[in-house]
Amino acid sequence: MAHQAHAYHMVDPSPWPLTGAVAALLMTSGLAIWFHFHSTTLMGLGMALLLLTMYQWWRDIIREGTFQGHHTPPVQKGLRYGMILFITSEVFFFLGFFWAFYHSSLAPTPELGGCWPPTGITPLDPFEVPLLNTAVLLASGVTVTWAHHSIMEGERKQAIQSLALTILLGFYFTFLQAMEYYEAPFTIADGVYGATFFVATGFHGLHVIIGSTFLAICLLRQIQYHFTSEHHFGFEAAAWYWHFVDVVWLFLYISIYWWGS
Amino acid sequence: MAGRLLLRACTTTTTLQLRSSVVARPLHRAIATAKGVPTDEEQATGLERRALQALKHGKDPYSMLKPKEYAGTKEDPHIVPGIGPKRLVGCLCEEDNTAIVWFWLHEGDAQRCPSCGSHYQLVHHELPH
Repeated sequence: MAHQAHAYHMVDPSPWPLTGAVAALLMTSGLAIWFHFHSTTLMGLGMALLLLTMYQWWRDIIREGTFQGHHTPPVQKGLRYGMILFITSEVFFFLGFFWAFYHSSLAPTPELGGCWPPTGITPLDPFEVPLLNTAVLLASGVTVTWAHHSIMEGERKQAIQSLALTILLGFYFTFLQAMEYYEAPFTIADGVYGATFFVATGFHGLHVIIGSTFLAICLLRQIQYHFTSEHHFGFEAAAWYWHFVDVVWLFLYISIYWWGS
Repeated sequence: MAGRLLLRACTTTTTLQLRSSVVARPLHRAIATAKGVPTDEEQATGLERRALQALKHGKDPYSMLKPKEYAGTKEDPHIVPGIGPKRLVGCLCEEDNTAIVWFWLHEGDAQRCPSCGSHYQLVHHELPH
């Protein structure tokens, strides 16, 4: 047993940062290879390595925290700061795409017909599926809060049910959005409208999938009794991320779907 | 990978449900609380458990809390916990000072800060384990 007089976690050496870096290298160079030589092998290898890295690195963190008890209150505080900073960086990521959208839509150029939506674009009706999607994500925000309170109050069955419901709502959103993408009368190649629409909503959709996956891992962990009523930061981090995804959607809905129609 | 995890999770839940239909109360797993989510008292382990248990008894062997404030006089010296014969002390002689006065505090009689003269006393603590 390590003897230390402080409450911090001096992490054991790990190969996953290196495999992660190698994965990043293979994915980026693989992307270039795909563009120029039509082979996806290198990129595929990089993606596989990335998935393996994520699985094993986060598995190790769960082992260190839940099974070995290294996540003392100060360590948990650091993890909280980390997640908040990460989500903040993601906010800035989306800010860029909103900037692009407003840059093009506030002063539409003559090439677009001097109007927004541009000439020839039939935007999606904001009061049809997009409104349903808004309701779905808002409801999922309620269910994830229900799940949190259930965990804090020691209600196992309710925690599992509300967390599962949250994930189902997330999948429903993704399904509806996929249908919308398929049926949309415009594509990503349709000028700056298509570009801003699909890049912004596309990255959002990717984040919904990431958030749903994070919540699904939390569901498995909750079923396996990892969380205690006082200490369940993995779940809180997933809930924060999910709320962030919800808020981004609200901005997307107001800006692109509603104002932009 | 995730598939195997999901399968194992489903099996655990199903087994638990099967067992509970036979026995009134499910076995070792759900004694956590009556409602099924364990508490830190039941489940915290390792360093986290030691730290939390110590705090519960009013002790802070891992220095998680802000140190107590002392006058720094001869009668009320700053008490500095230490696990060895000496410990580094950094004295902020006055609030908002940017230059910290560092010195080794040795066991034995209280020492004074070379700059402001406040008293510091090393008190021996066992290395927590």
